[in-house]
Amino acid sequence: MTDTQVLATAQQLGSRALAWLHTGQLGGFDRIEDNTIIDLADPNDVYKPLCEAALAASLILRDGVTGAHDARLARELLEASWAQLRCGDLLYERQLRHVTVIDPLETYAHFARVGYRHPAMDELLESLGRLRSVHAVEIPGNRQLALANARRIAGLSPAPDWPALAQATWLGALSEPWTIAWVIGYHVTHTVFHLTDWGARPECLPEPMHAYLRDWLPVWLDVWLETEQWDLAGELLIVDSCIGEPVTGRVGWDALAAVQQPDGLIPRDGATPLSYDDPEDTFREHEHTAVVGVVAATVALSRALGGAPVAA
Amino acid sequence: MPFTETALRDEYAAAVEQFSGRTLDAVRDGGGAAVPVGTTGPDVATDLDGPARRPLLAAARVLGANLLAPQLLVGAPPDEATAALLAEARRALPVPTAGTEAGALAIAWQDWAARCVLAATPHPDTGAAAPPPPAPPGPADLGWQVWSVRMAQLSVLALPGLDGAVHDAARAHTLDLARGTVRAMLRRDPTTAVRLARWLAWAQADGRPVRLEVEPVLDRIGFVGDGTARSGLELAVARALLTRAPWKGAQR
Repeated sequence: MTDTQVLATAQQLGSRALAWLHTGQLGGFDRIEDNTIIDLADPNDVYKPLCEAALAASLILRDGVTGAHDARLARELLEASWAQLRCGDLLYERQLRHVTVIDPLETYAHFARVGYRHPAMDELLESLGRLRSVHAVEIPGNRQLALANARRIAGLSPAPDWPALAQATWLGALSEPWTIAWVIGYHVTHTVFHLTDWGARPECLPEPMHAYLRDWLPVWLDVWLETEQWDLAGELLIVDSCIGEPVTGRVGWDALAAVQQPDGLIPRDGATPLSYDDPEDTFREHEHTAVVGVVAATVALSRALGGAPVAA
Repeated sequence: MPFTETALRDEYAAAVEQFSGRTLDAVRDGGGAAVPVGTTGPDVATDLDGPARRPLLAAARVLGANLLAPQLLVGAPPDEATAALLAEARRALPVPTAGTEAGALAIAWQDWAARCVLAATPHPDTGAAAPPPPAPPGPADLGWQVWSVRMAQLSVLALPGLDGAVHDAARAHTLDLARGTVRAMLRRDPTTAVRLARWLAWAQADGRPVRLEVEPVLDRIGFVGDGTARSGLELAVARALLTRAPWKGAQR
């Protein structure tokens, strides 16, 4: 059973991060320009953060463990993001043009999991799924899992060979835990996110990986808290909730809560948040960590309350 | 005077390195003596009669039970000349003082280890029958991070033939030892890592399940270690422990 103090800390951290995200996005940051075309000169510029915020909001609505106020903020975030994506048209056009690109499907899944559908996109994805090419794209193991999970959420067939996909990752190899590096840390967290569909299916994590994570998560969290890598530490807290009974206790939550600013901003790294002259740049710098904070809190609370996702 | 003290410290440190190197060679040779009596030339036996005697005694005190590791690891009788030197060092030099309670307890256990290995030689301590020090606090009290660092300070106890409360803690908490090892590796602290890996090797030889593969850790430390003979000795002892089957008598 998760410590109630941990849950209280998580709830407050997530709620404040959500408010910060909501204020920034609905205040005008992360705008996709009206003249944006499907080829996106820089997908990481606005499109990716927008989709990540949609992910956080969709999990809040999927898990249904927040209060009415936060649920409203989440719904508004999703509505605003969906509108920016022209109710899915932008995703559809990008997927139509780029047969083997994953991000339109991956983004669509965040919306689809809580009931936003685009019939032409559904039809297109079914059609593309029949191509050998789509399943043979050469991408890293954790990205293959992202693709598989997005297809699972969107209800697409055929089902992939999950054990083979899991095996083909750094985590699946049960790699020597002292060889992890910062970027591999993100590969590990995303392997778990996609295998368990962000904590909704902890049983989908193969048992050897589960036991391995229970052994080494506390070490990795300790090391990245010491080096003040709050973003990665937050992702490790999500993993801790995704795998069932958490093993890292309260230390990570207390550390993140201690660095969270009064307005809800959680610094990406370091003792004080990096700040720019343009407030939108500051928002962009720390936006991912806010998403991490919201997701970490949502999954922790959801798992502690039994973990049964509700229909949104 | 600072200069004098620095010179003395350097001299003692050099003696510890020299002795560690000899013991390391003896471990690699499979049970030779750290103090090769009867040989000639610029070796420890000759030096012992010269002006460098005091640093060598100090080094013997620092290395303690590790001096007899070459024989303990292969189940041979302790080398008599080495035992005599260790016994003399313990008579001639006081137990080091520690600034903290935890430090004092660590020294008491290191001292206990030296006392134990000498008890089986013709040079037992006068205090050989004294009770062992109190059991140190465990990971439940300290957290696995602090506990594992303290276990690293007690790595000299990870030898065949020694058994006590510290060993019971190692047996009971192999996962915490492994976590400490991984943490030290990630913090680029191979000195702590090799000492904890030695405990893991000891636990594995003791027949305990160990959750971390020790050989790759030792291989890695072989490349990134601090290069001192003292750490090399820890590495060699760990490797020697790993090659042992669970030894008779130490199992419970």
